[in-house]
Amino acid sequence: MSLSYLLEQTLNGITLGGLYALVALGYTLVYGILLMINFAHSELFMLGGYVGLGVLKLLSDPAVAEATGLGFLEPIQTFFLSGTFGFVMLIAVTFAVSAVVVGILGMFIERFAYRPLRHAPRLAPLISAIGVSIFLQNAVLLWIDSKQLPYTRADGSAFVQAQTAFNVGGVEVSTMQIFIIATSLILLALLDTFVSKTRIGRAMRATSQDREAAGLMGVDINSVIALAFFIGPALGAIAGVFNGMYYGSVKFNMGFIPGIKSFTAAVIGGIGNLRGAMLGGFLLGIVESLASGFVSNAYRDVIAFIVLILVLIFRPGGLLGEAVAEKV
Amino acid sequence: MTSKRRRFVALVSVVAALALVVTGCGAKTDGGSTDGGSTKATEVVIGIGAPLSDGAVALGQGMVRGTNLAVKQANESQELKDLGLTITTVEGDDKGDPTTGGNVATQFTSNPNLVGVMGHLNSGVTRVAVKIYNQGNVVQVSPANTAVDLTQMGMANYFRVCATDDVQGPAAADFAFKTAGKKVAFVVDDATVYGTGLADEWAKQFEANGGKVAGREKTTDKDTDFKALVTLIKSSGAEIVYYGGIYNSAALLSKQMKEGGVKVPLMGGDGIYDPEYIKLAGAANATGDYCSSIGLPIDMLPNGQDFQAAFEAAYPGEAIAAYDAYSYDAANTIIKAIVAVAKDMGADKLTTTDGKKAIIAAVAKTDFEGVSGQVSFDAKGDTNNKAITIYQVGADGKWAPAAK
Repeated sequence: MSLSYLLEQTLNGITLGGLYALVALGYTLVYGILLMINFAHSELFMLGGYVGLGVLKLLSDPAVAEATGLGFLEPIQTFFLSGTFGFVMLIAVTFAVSAVVVGILGMFIERFAYRPLRHAPRLAPLISAIGVSIFLQNAVLLWIDSKQLPYTRADGSAFVQAQTAFNVGGVEVSTMQIFIIATSLILLALLDTFVSKTRIGRAMRATSQDREAAGLMGVDINSVIALAFFIGPALGAIAGVFNGMYYGSVKFNMGFIPGIKSFTAAVIGGIGNLRGAMLGGFLLGIVESLASGFVSNAYRDVIAFIVLILVLIFRPGGLLGEAVAEKV
Repeated sequence: MTSKRRRFVALVSVVAALALVVTGCGAKTDGGSTDGGSTKATEVVIGIGAPLSDGAVALGQGMVRGTNLAVKQANESQELKDLGLTITTVEGDDKGDPTTGGNVATQFTSNPNLVGVMGHLNSGVTRVAVKIYNQGNVVQVSPANTAVDLTQMGMANYFRVCATDDVQGPAAADFAFKTAGKKVAFVVDDATVYGTGLADEWAKQFEANGGKVAGREKTTDKDTDFKALVTLIKSSGAEIVYYGGIYNSAALLSKQMKEGGVKVPLMGGDGIYDPEYIKLAGAANATGDYCSSIGLPIDMLPNGQDFQAAFEAAYPGEAIAAYDAYSYDAANTIIKAIVAVAKDMGADKLTTTDGKKAIIAAVAKTDFEGVSGQVSFDAKGDTNNKAITIYQVGADGKWAPAAK
């Protein structure tokens, strides 16, 4: 087992970790403010993948323009399919639409499934979340497809070529990996700055510390919570689109395992703590990748959860759970 | 207190109302069949146990198509009309999951008119379900179970029309080593009864031929992330990757292999013999991949042309998947047994315990020329038809019999 093998497996792990971190932020953001675990979050991740696929097909699959008979699609598709600029715009629009649609859906879910239960015992919103999760899975199963769908155009061509791009000292790196790692790091940095530096971010931190007191100080609690329910799902949706592009398919129940893993990542990092979620995500991704590369693929989940147990034994609050006083 | 009590009363009445509705429904269906009794028609049911919402859905849908086609043809035949017999089907969605499969089996056996089950797809599901059918004296004919030990569990009610892993795995390994000339293999399975059994048999034969198994790994049937595995395969220097499992994960493994620079073919069993495999992997990635499947290609079978014509008439625009023809044969096995028992004991006795036992005995004596070849069973319930065909994805993006 050479060094380049180790580096390649680590790179696989960082990429996976970036996806976990993006999803984990959604769990931790909501937990930080509401002390509630949003079990529907994994379904929002899944929906992000579906919305992204829909947008990509609509904007760049000639077969869709033909099938729907929508004449105005053709010039739009010609634009998105021509040249580098069109391609960059296609990717940007896809991520933006997916994030906004799923973000708004997240706000809807909060408004109708969680807000009425805000003063109920803590178990009630949890059950409500599980209900939303089952509802969303079955909605996709019934209205879209029960089959696994390929993340490609109708003719089987990929939207983004995930082929090996270049070779750095014997380590093969693909464009998709760089894209995922860079985007997740940028988004994590932006969110961190937003929460720690802006006025709204301060309102979020205040709400997380003491909801009632923040309300008395003039913070609009409802919009702060709604904002958390927009940002979390939006990041989850971006991870969903990446997941589709990187691994190559979407399915109605695809959110379950990444959801559990990301939740684990959030707990490892210290749930409620943003930087903890990022750290936990990357750590879990790397551990999983190295475990399957050096021990056995069959044991990767076992080892990942052993890490969780060890962290919880020695630092029950998670890695960064106690070091930072502020949640969020 | 009174409001609480009132709420309780309301709850009870709602439950009672629901119960009435439910039993009402049940009574209605029963009534339907006795209403049909004005023409003295007896109705018996064949259950279709298949993955329909999760697991290998494309294959499960094919099982439903094949069975319904056989039943439709039977109901139109003069033979059934003379006997005053109608056959209907009911679908049970096992999701490819043993626990759910057990629930489906319980549901099926609790239906008194159900006399036979066409299914299941997954060997792991059958391992649970077959015992429940056995207790209910319901015959089970599977079009697709390949785990060797299923016919060694002492279940007299179990039959299958497909060859098993100990035939399929070695045949594919021989092809990989002798015909395709691959010397080093990496073997992966999805940790299901089906996948592990097949991969073990394949690896055993590949090594017996003198090939080298450079690595043996497991994933799960729900995994989509094989990046770490692909890096491992790349470092192993394998010339072929064998995957024991179904097309969902196999396709993604093939895709991620080719994208990750492992440009060697993937080989799988009958679980990946489906157009969905090529669609999910992408034709460019799947080209050159192999699979083994049971029986001969449909167009090479004596009755294949007829089946194809009937299929196209019944399901215009749909493609025949791996198990459509086998399900058709499995369903016909049950139908022929039902007819034989109806002639012998009278149609009204079919749903009695004796009738159901007689159906099991009649299936054991099956001997007819089906689409997949001659359908007959040995003493254990395994098919005597053990033909295996190796297919390869061609440049046109379709499965075709591989060049010998």
